[in-house]
Amino acid sequence: MNRSRFLSAVPVGVALAVALALPAFCSDYMVRLLSTAAIASIAVLGLNLVFGYAGLISLGQAAFIGIGAYTVAVLTTQAGWSPWLASMAGVALCGAFAYVVGIVLLRLKGHYLALATLGLNVSFGIVVSNWTSLTGGTDGIASIPSLTLGSFVLDTDARLYLFATVVLVALCALTQAVRTSHLGRSMIAVNDDEMAAGMSGIAVTRAKAAAFAIGGAFAGVSGCLFAVHNRFVSPDDFSYVQSILYLSMLVVGGAGSIVGAVIGAVGVTLLPELLRGAGNAYLLIFGVLVLVVLIVLPDGLVSLARLPVFRRRQRSPRLDPIAEEK
Amino acid sequence: MQQLLQLLVNGVALGSVYALAALGFVIVYSATGVVNFAAGQFVMLGTFFGVAAIVQAHFPIALGYLAAVIGMALFGVLFFLGVHLPLRKRPVVSVIIGTVAIGIVMQNAALLIWGPWPARLPSPFGDTAISIAGAAISMHALATIVITALLIAALYALLYRTGIGRSMRAIAQDSEAARLIGLPVTLTLVVTWALAAACSAFAGLLVGPMWFADVNMGEPVALKAFAATVIGGFGSVQGAILGGLFVGLVEILGASYLTSTYKDLLAFGVMIAFLLVRPQGIFGERIGDRG
Repeated sequence: MNRSRFLSAVPVGVALAVALALPAFCSDYMVRLLSTAAIASIAVLGLNLVFGYAGLISLGQAAFIGIGAYTVAVLTTQAGWSPWLASMAGVALCGAFAYVVGIVLLRLKGHYLALATLGLNVSFGIVVSNWTSLTGGTDGIASIPSLTLGSFVLDTDARLYLFATVVLVALCALTQAVRTSHLGRSMIAVNDDEMAAGMSGIAVTRAKAAAFAIGGAFAGVSGCLFAVHNRFVSPDDFSYVQSILYLSMLVVGGAGSIVGAVIGAVGVTLLPELLRGAGNAYLLIFGVLVLVVLIVLPDGLVSLARLPVFRRRQRSPRLDPIAEEK
Repeated sequence: MQQLLQLLVNGVALGSVYALAALGFVIVYSATGVVNFAAGQFVMLGTFFGVAAIVQAHFPIALGYLAAVIGMALFGVLFFLGVHLPLRKRPVVSVIIGTVAIGIVMQNAALLIWGPWPARLPSPFGDTAISIAGAAISMHALATIVITALLIAALYALLYRTGIGRSMRAIAQDSEAARLIGLPVTLTLVVTWALAAACSAFAGLLVGPMWFADVNMGEPVALKAFAATVIGGFGSVQGAILGGLFVGLVEILGASYLTSTYKDLLAFGVMIAFLLVRPQGIFGERIGDRG
């Protein structure tokens, strides 16, 4: 490991140590929020592949999370599967479904894709609310069993938080590996200029479908954790409003950045606590804050680290007048 | 037969509301390229401006309508200054999230001002119904259809018979070229936002008596308006009208003859089918142009 890689690993290591030590210093309620934040981070990390790298605006992430969570809920409570096996099935199903969606919606870009995925999420909500025999309708499914590691049951918030954090870190590493692989670079090339990417021999279709599939599988992991954490699922948890929230987490944190995705997810999840004093005006302030971040920091909160004060190297100025015109 | 007539009138009336909401969305989109995800909250705010003027301030209904429409037009101008201008050079996703964020602000501001309990917005025509061929037809539904038709005629006159309408269409085609030949682009954009907000206000005032005025009513209206826009074609005025009527009819007829549980799925199913087979909609722009 050379010096610069070592230096960039230090803050990550410190952040990880703090994250793992947190439950010892926090109230149970706070630990519960932190687990929720870690689970949301995983979903946003998946969205980062879809939107941050491949540039596909998806407003359907909550539906994929819902498919994962409902698969676990149905298989464990109705078919008596072990939560582990059910989770594997959930993640596989999510990845496969997202792949199919990716293939089918490939022609669409920009707001067309956003509306198509939004429509998909709304349809998912309607089906789940009304397919009562399988999903329990709006009553949801309760008493989902906890995960167990041997004789160690992940039934407290602190244990689940640690497990979710480990999963999150593993998936961050996986995302970084994808990011630097041929596939990840293809996704980014497709995002930058689809025609040029296709001309230089990149399999555009494959890159987009892969982004959707991996992003969907991440959503599946998030959904499985959601199910074993809350031990209850209902349609509201996976409505299109949640999808919009996940995308705003990513954009607020910084699309295209792993750190940005995690910061956005954790920040937006914990924000209600910080704004507790605002009472009913909380969502109003939340909306204003999101708008302010979008206007002031178009590259997300993560771009704060790139302000001149912190910056070591000068970034080259953008010489891209044609792209600006879009 | 009586039932079918009744359903058709109700479907067209609801479709008119969706068409007006979709028009508010499309007018802005074609002139500015902004995909306004707060469009549904514009409709909600239009309803509540009506509630404020007619129910709370006891204005006569006609004056209350006028006050609500003018109030919304001013709100549209504010939206232009506070949201459109700061985000105008940003990628489409920032605009989507930004308008969603401001929609959340509008919804919760309405919640703080008017509270969570649904209010009743009276219709100018009361609750009367007339009997046509044995079917009881609500006067409000008929009036909704007539008012929408008049508004659409006025909109066409504005777009095709006035100078400001011509510059709106020119900017929709190419805003840089419009600026080069000296059209007042900023002023026109202000008028565009005011006009879009006024369309939404009418949608809100007309849907208010059909449903209850509820701060959560914006989202279902927005989703239907999006479906209408996709079906009719992004950026097309006649597409928004046709799409709105189609979605309204599908909702009312589908609920009655096919399935009431899955009535909303019908409209979104058609929308997704359109996106897959004909993403430019019935009258829409060529998809290669934008996106």
